Amino acid sequence: MASQPHSLSYVGCNFLRQRLVLSTLSGRPVKIRKIRAKEENPGLRDFEASFIRLIDKVTNGSRIEINQTGTTLYYQPGLLYGGVLEHDCSPHRSIGYYLESLLCLAPFMKHPLRIVLRGVTNDQVDPSVDVLKATALPLLKKFGIDGEGFELKITRRGMPPKGGGEVIFACPVRKVLRPIQSTDPGKIKRIRGTAYSVRVSPQIANRIVDSARSILNKFIPDIYIYTDHMKGTSSGKSPGFGLSLVAETTNGTFLGAELASNPQGQGTAVLPEELGLNCAKLLLEEIYRGGCVDSTNQSLVLLLMTLGQQDVSKVLLGPLSPYTIEFLRHLRSFFQIMFKIETKPSHEELQGGEKVLMTCVGIGFSNLSKTIK
Amino acid sequence: MEEKDRKKHHKKHSGPKADKKRKRHLNDLGLGDDEDARKRNPKAFAVQSAVRMARTFHRTQDLKTKKHHIPVVDRTPLEPPPVVVVVVGPPKVGKSTLIKCLIRNFTRQKLIEIRGPVTIVSGKRRRLTIIECGCDINTMIDLAKVADLVLMLIDASFGFEMETFEFLNICQVHGFPKIMGVLTHLDTFKNNKQLKKTKKRLKHRFWTEVYPGAKLFYLSGMVHGEYQKQEIHNLGRFISVMKFRPLTWQTSHPYVLADRMEDLTNPEDVRVNPKCDRKVSLYGYLRGAYLKNKSQIHMPGVGDFTVSDVSFLPDPCALPEQQKKRSLNEKDKLIYAPLSGVGGVVYDKDAVYIDLGGSHAHQDEEEEVRPNHELVQSLISTHSTIDVKMASSKVSLFMDSKPLGSEDVENQEFVMPKEEKQIDLKTGRVRRKAVFEEENDDGASDEEEGQNEEMSEDEMDGSEDGDGDDDVEGESDKEVPGQELGLRSAKRLKREETTEETAVELPAFADSDDDLEMSSGEEGETDLDESKEEAEDHGDEEESDEKESSDNKERRENHNLDHRLGKKVVPTTDSGNCTAEEASESEAEGSSLEEEEEEGLNDDSEAEESDRKGIQNAPEKNVDGVEWAESKAVEDEDGGGDVENLLKEEEEYGEENDFSADTAGALKWKEDLTQKAAEAFLRQQQSAPNLRKLVYGTVAEDADEEDDADEELGGLFHVSRPDKESKQKANALDCSKFPVETPQDWDLDEVMNSIRDCFVTGKWEADKDASKLLEEDEELYGDFEDLETGIVHKGKPAGSEGEEEDKEGKEPKAGEEEEKKKRMDKKRKLKEIFDAEYDEGDATYFDDLKGEMQKQAQLNRAEFEDQDDESRVQYEGFRPGMYVRIEIENIPCEFVLNFDPHYPIILGGLGNSEGNVGYVQLRLKKHRWYKKILKTRDPIIFSLGWRRFQTIPMYYIEDHNGRHRLLKYSPQHMHCGATFWGPITPQGTGFLAIQSVSGTTPDFRIAATGVVLDLDKSITVVKKLKLTGFPFKIYKNTSFIKGMFNSPLEVAKFEGAAIRTVSGIRGQIKKALRKPEGAFRATFEDKLLMSDIVFMRTWYPVSIPAFYNPVTSLLKPAGEKDTWTGMKTTGQLRHERGIRLKQNKDSLYKPIVREKKHFNKLHIPKALQKALPFKNKPKNHEKKAKPTKDQWRPAVIREPHEKKISALLTALGTVHSYKIKKAKLNHRQHLKDYLKRKDKEEEEKFKRQKEAKKKLFRIMGQKEKKRQKSSLKGSGEREK
Repeated sequence: MASQPHSLSYVGCNFLRQRLVLSTLSGRPVKIRKIRAKEENPGLRDFEASFIRLIDKVTNGSRIEINQTGTTLYYQPGLLYGGVLEHDCSPHRSIGYYLESLLCLAPFMKHPLRIVLRGVTNDQVDPSVDVLKATALPLLKKFGIDGEGFELKITRRGMPPKGGGEVIFACPVRKVLRPIQSTDPGKIKRIRGTAYSVRVSPQIANRIVDSARSILNKFIPDIYIYTDHMKGTSSGKSPGFGLSLVAETTNGTFLGAELASNPQGQGTAVLPEELGLNCAKLLLEEIYRGGCVDSTNQSLVLLLMTLGQQDVSKVLLGPLSPYTIEFLRHLRSFFQIMFKIETKPSHEELQGGEKVLMTCVGIGFSNLSKTIK
Repeated sequence: MEEKDRKKHHKKHSGPKADKKRKRHLNDLGLGDDEDARKRNPKAFAVQSAVRMARTFHRTQDLKTKKHHIPVVDRTPLEPPPVVVVVVGPPKVGKSTLIKCLIRNFTRQKLIEIRGPVTIVSGKRRRLTIIECGCDINTMIDLAKVADLVLMLIDASFGFEMETFEFLNICQVHGFPKIMGVLTHLDTFKNNKQLKKTKKRLKHRFWTEVYPGAKLFYLSGMVHGEYQKQEIHNLGRFISVMKFRPLTWQTSHPYVLADRMEDLTNPEDVRVNPKCDRKVSLYGYLRGAYLKNKSQIHMPGVGDFTVSDVSFLPDPCALPEQQKKRSLNEKDKLIYAPLSGVGGVVYDKDAVYIDLGGSHAHQDEEEEVRPNHELVQSLISTHSTIDVKMASSKVSLFMDSKPLGSEDVENQEFVMPKEEKQIDLKTGRVRRKAVFEEENDDGASDEEEGQNEEMSEDEMDGSEDGDGDDDVEGESDKEVPGQELGLRSAKRLKREETTEETAVELPAFADSDDDLEMSSGEEGETDLDESKEEAEDHGDEEESDEKESSDNKERRENHNLDHRLGKKVVPTTDSGNCTAEEASESEAEGSSLEEEEEEGLNDDSEAEESDRKGIQNAPEKNVDGVEWAESKAVEDEDGGGDVENLLKEEEEYGEENDFSADTAGALKWKEDLTQKAAEAFLRQQQSAPNLRKLVYGTVAEDADEEDDADEELGGLFHVSRPDKESKQKANALDCSKFPVETPQDWDLDEVMNSIRDCFVTGKWEADKDASKLLEEDEELYGDFEDLETGIVHKGKPAGSEGEEEDKEGKEPKAGEEEEKKKRMDKKRKLKEIFDAEYDEGDATYFDDLKGEMQKQAQLNRAEFEDQDDESRVQYEGFRPGMYVRIEIENIPCEFVLNFDPHYPIILGGLGNSEGNVGYVQLRLKKHRWYKKILKTRDPIIFSLGWRRFQTIPMYYIEDHNGRHRLLKYSPQHMHCGATFWGPITPQGTGFLAIQSVSGTTPDFRIAATGVVLDLDKSITVVKKLKLTGFPFKIYKNTSFIKGMFNSPLEVAKFEGAAIRTVSGIRGQIKKALRKPEGAFRATFEDKLLMSDIVFMRTWYPVSIPAFYNPVTSLLKPAGEKDTWTGMKTTGQLRHERGIRLKQNKDSLYKPIVREKKHFNKLHIPKALQKALPFKNKPKNHEKKAKPTKDQWRPAVIREPHEKKISALLTALGTVHSYKIKKAKLNHRQHLKDYLKRKDKEEEEKFKRQKEAKKKLFRIMGQKEKKRQKSSLKGSGEREK
């Protein structure tokens, strides 16, 4: 018998996605204990259960064991299978929650993944599908994942609390990834964005656009913010509106920021103008943080660098988010990989905050699921 | 002298003059060169056919691209590991002799016995590891996987043997290393012609196996039991200049060919249970790819293991330092073969042994002293190894020495070791142990280790993970796991003492001078410890951060020690890290270490909660990194720790200093801590915090799970204090967003300006600014003339150069060097220009790709070049070329007990999920030389990846619709698919299969070869299943079928399925009937007969037995290592036990008896008969009655006279008929002649008539003409 690689054990439900994704990619089983053990309502939540179900769908031969109360989860990964799938995401978290993990897994499937995700497309917690489409997809392209079947299509928008959105994500499979060297983010040449509104007055989107432009125009003239007003069936089940902005640089770096209105019946009503202004400021913050990858996609880029060939990859990031820091630790425990982290004080005054240069040697990962003929 | 004068003039064979002459000669002959021909006869070289030209061009391009290999990034390390040279051949062919000769050739040393790999320095840039490969197929397989070069010995007097071909096939499967054939026993040939013939024959056979033109070396004969010196020398030259191609498997996996093994198991454990699992350290050069600590490895012949520790050691057989000389210095010609007991210096982690026998200095004595493998003998034969012995001997033997840190060992090249003579207990031989200056106090170190022992595993782990270069204590820390237990027994007494004084404070601890000193050292350690606690117990940290000063800390420190002493009472809970505080703060369920792991992050979000900027929370975090003391960045750490406090309160800072001043005497690095702290503080203030420590520093990976969180205080009370925050963190919201906690006010101008340059509208860097670049360009290109306008643009004069020249004039000293540099620069530039031009000529996609790869390779090399190995190892892993020591736990005791150095020990690194098992699909082909075919479900041994294992494959073939249909046997000469349950190995990996690895068989042993296609967790192989049924009621096209299913439910499942009768009538299942059970209604395209059998073809998925059995040949007792037998095939078992197969009676062959076929008469219905035309109507003649008497005629019998008459008449008749016949013939001839004649006459007549007619017509024509003329005239005349 091949000795099973000793499983890793963790406590608490935080970073569940990271752990399951890395476990799947590395083939090491993972055990997570004490999931909300001390709370009144212990165990896994709906959205986590849905996530686990999604993982089960895209893999073949995984073993998932959850105890009676749902406080302990044992996951023994199978092989990534892919194919044409559908998944109803829990409305508690947005599709972005699920999509982020799928972005990590999709290039390493047996069959190209084409999945329809249903649920909340935009909310205030997770990165929305708009931002992921604008920032994460170009990022994957840098690693050599592109081609015909690489798309993220928003067919319906759904806002919290009821959702009703629909997104189609398709990704081709790759055997190996290309190493990247992106140390120069370049200069921002244009800003694009989407102001969306569903089940509210279509005028709201325009109001958002105007207010956002008022700030951004001080920096760059090339701004275009699409207004996306969904009607009828494609507008989901709950009203809401929001704005996502993306700044593109000369070197193909995409920095995103977004803001959504409060869900119906929760919190106070948000003025569209205010939302536009705040979102624009968030984008400026993001630009201030800078780097070649925006803060939400830090972990994705680090993962793809890790899974590269045994070559040096480099990327310049803004300050590391707590999520990323934990991700780095997880990367070390799953893949024994350590990043060389160098802080680069911004040499010129007017270029935002400090940057971090992350360097690593890929582990020589190859897609074990893909069939050769 | 005379002769010399008379010497003939030497003709020139090269040079311009000779060329000219040759050319003239050729011209005279009418054979000019190509160019001339082109000029002379342009028509011959003109394009004749565009199509053909296109084709030839196409073809040349095809050939050109065919030559290309896909470019790969060159990942060979700068200092490559020794080349593995495997000497292989059948027994008695001269392998050992060749190795000995080679070693002697390279090192001028004579080895008597060779066991295991021998590493030698063969040149300035190359080392060799030579290893002999026996005929055991296990060994052959293993070594083929690691070989760079194979020396294939062939007994020329005998010819090729099966082993040779087997080995070649193994090589082909696992990536083809360089193979060089060596023919031996050539001196047995008496006849020169025969020798030549044999050589040629063998060479050509060898070429077909390897590649045409493969090098085959001839060793013509032996001199004094050795090969001829010159030949060996040539062979050596060949080896040392050989180039190797990278092999996919080898370059993508790290591997070590172990050249030294040590058992580190606690002797006590072995005593208690001689069969207990062992802990072993293996040494060797790392090859292939980067090896990560704690990664999975496979040892072929043993099994899968997880590396428990890796460390690199100084190279025992290092390449010589750069030298200008062409040849090697004698002292650089090193040899290292610890298994054979050679190698001068033996490095251990904490000691260096110099073997007196092996050094070059005493080369003369060497011959007598030689077989110096007693050392190794002792190493091998003893069950306790050096490490263990060292550990235990701390008390008994080397009372006055202290173990070295590996750092010291590393630096040992620069530090001169003192010599210390020791007498080896076993052999009584004098050995010199190198001892270093720093070793001072053994007792202290003992004590220290004792202390360290108490520290928990995870701290050690952490210290190893966190940063390689610990301080001395950290180093000895590392040592502990191995020695811990051994020490424990030695220290037991002392411990008992201390247990009595559990409650006693610090002074009680110091019962000797050493101890006192130690305790002060200990303080330093606790200092670190406590800062760690801070990190770990967040709640506590918070509190202390708020108010508490170092008083509190000191108190706690004491508390700490108390606790430690207390801990000694209960050694079972030996995670010393779990201090009192922690215990008290952890809950009943316990904040186990996993939680601690999270806390680094908890801090973060905590920090966010407390209104602080995301970026600035880092300095605080640095505290976490503190305890992982790095000797290099001591100031940093301690400073960091202080800084944390400094941020809070100034006074605390001072106190901290006091504290450090107290302990300053103990440790040097603690001196002027104040200053360092201050420096660090400043650095912290101005620059970013050390992110590395923030991220990796505090994490205690692989923490002990069974860390009992509920500590009991005093064995009575159970303290549980909820620390809510950490709990909350562990269960916090899982979100990747990085929210901005304190947004900057973007309305302010200065804030806005801070990112102004991030936009294209902002200011650009000097090297990218368009306007500036333009200016530079102008300067660069100087003057040019605008051809249109005729204006001459003058660039700025080459002032800089002129200036430089001026400078040169001023400084003649530096001038020379500068000039040289300049020249080099110029050369380089020219070369660049040339390269660019040359490449641009046919810069293809391929070239671009190649360039890209080259760039990547350069980057790979350059990235970590400037870092020291310790930290580099953390980022990259251990890089190939390093000499590493790998510790492995839980190795079966047989490995150590039955250790045989003749068998190679390979540690093959496994990639991700390569340690898992699943279903593997292969493309397999039976080897054409294997005599049998392979049967499905027969266990077979695969060699795949690093592994050799037995498993049960199922053979299948893919149908046209993609279905995988099970085969009972592998096809004879075709590829087929195979699926087995076994280790997951990347697709594209080659494999081979053998039926058995035990013993030798006269036949070819490799049964099949192939490649991995797919990995899956489910099976897709199906076999055909025919369900049969019988009609029991037949209507027109509908029939009721029974006997196919057992219940209506089953039928329901197959509704609509296609069925068929044996006679070929197709149909469909419609619906189940109520009775009988399992019967159903079916429709067919025709009416069935009751005798028809109906069947349905279905596909039934096959289950594959989950049988995976690694070949553990290395665990077999010595001498039986090639007798491993796994599961037997049913055929073997039957044969052994004499069980005959029970044959199905129906399957037996019987003589075929063919019955006469009887056909019934054709019956045509009356109605049809009537309708038929008469011709086709059956003619129903009534049977004739028997002829009546009157019809019946009697026979006539002639008289003799009558007979004569009739005979005469017949004769006359014959004559008559002959006459008539003749007359007829005559007549016919006449007639023919007559007709001929007549024809002729007729013809002539016709001719005549024709003539006459012609004449007549002519006359008539003339007459007519005349008439016409006359008529014309006549009219005229008439007019006249």
